[in-house]
Amino acid sequence: MAEVYEVTIWARGVTQDMEGRHLSLLLANGADKGGKFVQAWDNYADLPDRVGVPLRKYTRISDEEIEMRYVYENHKPNMSIVMDDSIVKGMDILRGMPKGGVLVVNTKRDPEEILKLIPNKDVLSKLICVDALGIVGGTGMESLDFMGSEGGVEALAVGAGISAALAGAAAKGTDRFTAENVAAVAANKAAVKEGNKTAVVKSL
Amino acid sequence: MSKPYCEKFRIPKHLEVPMGAVIPAPVKEQPAMKTGNWRTLRPVIDHEKCTLCLNCFVFCPDACWHLDEKGERMVWNPIYCKGCLICVEECPADALAAEDEMNFKGGVARLDKPY
Repeated sequence: MAEVYEVTIWARGVTQDMEGRHLSLLLANGADKGGKFVQAWDNYADLPDRVGVPLRKYTRISDEEIEMRYVYENHKPNMSIVMDDSIVKGMDILRGMPKGGVLVVNTKRDPEEILKLIPNKDVLSKLICVDALGIVGGTGMESLDFMGSEGGVEALAVGAGISAALAGAAAKGTDRFTAENVAAVAANKAAVKEGNKTAVVKSL
Repeated sequence: MSKPYCEKFRIPKHLEVPMGAVIPAPVKEQPAMKTGNWRTLRPVIDHEKCTLCLNCFVFCPDACWHLDEKGERMVWNPIYCKGCLICVEECPADALAAEDEMNFKGGVARLDKPY
């Protein structure tokens, strides 16, 4: 079985539910444009969704067909994306990560400040910090969504909010998808490029 | 308190209960249900302004505010506070303010699973 690149996205319940879902879709669609086999889905493990509860969204990217398709949780994420920096304090976001993983955090703060809050940071090879809300603007509550996503069709354009900037920043941590491919499928193309440009990468 | 009452009315030992049948809870915190990681903003108390009206204690849905043993200060529980900020809304003395959780080093309720 070919190696499957696993991405786990941590988002705040309800307030970032839609943005998290859109981010997992953006990464998958961007990698799909680059000719990879992909899979993107919402979580089953963390439901029911309540305001502020840390939720997971998942993406898988592979060069060959994904055989672990029906495993509905990423047990060994190669990349972890945190959509709200305070989740770093409340959750073991690197659980199961193999050595050489990448962490992407949406924060206004320095990478050093985030690193201080992570006890098991020795598995990381890269920490990427990006101020996604600063790039996109607004309050971050525009995407408040009570629709849910089970089997539904996206009602709004995918990748209009902070998910676009975070997808651009995540492209700096891996070569499985590029910022150009992600920008091609995102609604807010400028935010993808800006996120890719302004992301602070700290190699560890 | 219950003993003289029991002796007076000759209640058998195995039926003895405290007055009003009020029994203190054996467990007051559930270590498996920590909800502190739901919080993005936290209430910060200004003890100078606090009048000990206990509004925060009454309104807190998670019982995260209580009076300390001396009865002089309100104590906040960072492990279970979800940051709903109802206490900030209800404080009549303006002693509570919401601050960004990332400004503080403490209050880490790190879990393996989301809840």
